[in-house]
Amino acid sequence: MPDGKPNLTGLWQALGTAYWDIQDHIAQPGPFFQLGAIGAIPPGQGIVEGNEIPYQPWAGQKKKDNFVNRLTLDPEIKCYMPGVPRGTYMPFPFQIVESPQNIVIAYEYASANRVINMGKPREASVDTWMGTSNGHWEGDALVVDVTGLNGQSWLDRAGNFASENVHIVERYTLVDPDHLNYEATIEDKTVFTRPWKISLPLYRRKEKNAQITEFKCVEFAEELIYGNLRKQTK
Amino acid sequence: MSRRLLVVLAAVLLVSIAVAGQTPAPARQTAPSSRQTTPVPKTATKSWTQPKTAWGDPDLQGTWTSDDSIGVPLQRPASIGERLVATEAEIAQREANITRQSQSDEQEFAAPNARVGTGPPGHWGERARRPSKQTSLIVDPPDGRIPALTSEGQKKQADVAATRVGAGAGGRPAASWEDFTYYIRCITRGVTGSIFPVIYGNGAQIVQSPGYVTILHEMVHEARIIPLDGRPHAGPNIRTYMGDSRGHWEGNTLVIETTNFLADKTGIGLNGGGTPTSDALRLVERYSRTDANTINYEVTIDDPKTYTRPWKVAFPITQEPGYSLFEYACHEGNYAMVDMLSGARAEEKAAEEAAKQKK
Repeated sequence: MPDGKPNLTGLWQALGTAYWDIQDHIAQPGPFFQLGAIGAIPPGQGIVEGNEIPYQPWAGQKKKDNFVNRLTLDPEIKCYMPGVPRGTYMPFPFQIVESPQNIVIAYEYASANRVINMGKPREASVDTWMGTSNGHWEGDALVVDVTGLNGQSWLDRAGNFASENVHIVERYTLVDPDHLNYEATIEDKTVFTRPWKISLPLYRRKEKNAQITEFKCVEFAEELIYGNLRKQTK
Repeated sequence: MSRRLLVVLAAVLLVSIAVAGQTPAPARQTAPSSRQTTPVPKTATKSWTQPKTAWGDPDLQGTWTSDDSIGVPLQRPASIGERLVATEAEIAQREANITRQSQSDEQEFAAPNARVGTGPPGHWGERARRPSKQTSLIVDPPDGRIPALTSEGQKKQADVAATRVGAGAGGRPAASWEDFTYYIRCITRGVTGSIFPVIYGNGAQIVQSPGYVTILHEMVHEARIIPLDGRPHAGPNIRTYMGDSRGHWEGNTLVIETTNFLADKTGIGLNGGGTPTSDALRLVERYSRTDANTINYEVTIDDPKTYTRPWKVAFPITQEPGYSLFEYACHEGNYAMVDMLSGARAEEKAAEEAAKQKK
């Protein structure tokens, strides 16, 4: 950028299978046998540093319950906004548009987006799905302080979660023109016994004329959410 | 903000359905006349020059709103003919309305429990801050009316009228969510529906970087990513509700051309209502900043499968102190959909019971 800061503008995407489970996981059958191999859960190495999520005992149990009940509880199934940091490693690209005053991150999934305020930090005025983001530069790293999350989004499809008290600090570091290092420190005294961290690389989408398109998934979730209220034909 | 605002969705519907009254005319006419472009043009004041970004593009960044055109009808009443500019008396009337509304809002704040009724308080809506000088949002054709529909357009209009239900659209209970507009379903209001002035959600935040302009809309959290690098449109099979946008600068004016729309979804009305447009829809929008706090916005709608000629809508958008976007988690908080559908099922059940009683 003309101001000497790295220009993160572009289309980015995570590889890997953290969207299924941010911890190490083996291949598993999916919930619907009709989908066969397509519906199976792919294996993958996790993105949690040390692989352990320091849940308080009640929260560790809740995570397990979330997984068992994920077909009714996972907000992604209902096309709800992904929250932070889940949007970062979903299997969809996201677009960063960087200006000196504001940095937009527009996620293809569910048309979710957030604006990182690069000016004087603003306190979250209300809890939201995507939170309130205040950013600043530390050297070449964009550091984003995220508060005001509503605690309703999950961290993956395995039921990992945090609460509305969560405080997240993200670091986006451009390591070369086509790779970002993404780190997020997750702190929530009501759910975890200590802060913990995820880290993963983000890859620039290099296809010619790569662009974000549209995954407005509401219409794919309506039968699931409202189907019991459809008029029954006799 | 989502939950309390969501309650008002039904009220918004009432506003959104106020787009109707097309009369057929088969022949497709020529492009819009150039004699009426942006209404009541503002000339840049001498003390103001268009700011530039650090990389040299005209700087349009900020949060803008179409609030000042709230209440201006999309289509001009036929009795006004070709007069686009409001009379002194009409402007004075609007000014008086704004004052009265502001006083009523202040009273609601002062005595929130004095209000009666189940609807949302009026001050939840956004307000015009100064009177519009236009008699309609449509500036071309010269009569300020939506051009005649093609026969295909008429058929789509009839289909929508026959199937859509909801507040303000008659008493027929909804069979499913598919009977509601894409807006009520929290999917989208489309490009024009996202900026045309309604009771709230009129904001557009513009963020620029080298090579891109982004326009964010509060309602249904739309983010339009507009490349400026002259790349071609996506292939013809890539179709979206918000279309595929490409931008360029003409002097200090941002020109956005959008194609690749999905067919038969939203229309060019308030909140995306009106006759659903076709896959041939092409929008050309122009954002021209005329002073620190004003952009003249105009959009030309060209959909030869739906309309017999292109037409144009224009109005100013402004920056206002304290006005910012909030997250509008529309779908996440769409309790209204559950309520409307369960209400419809309950009505059916009650009618069945009543019929049994009669026998």
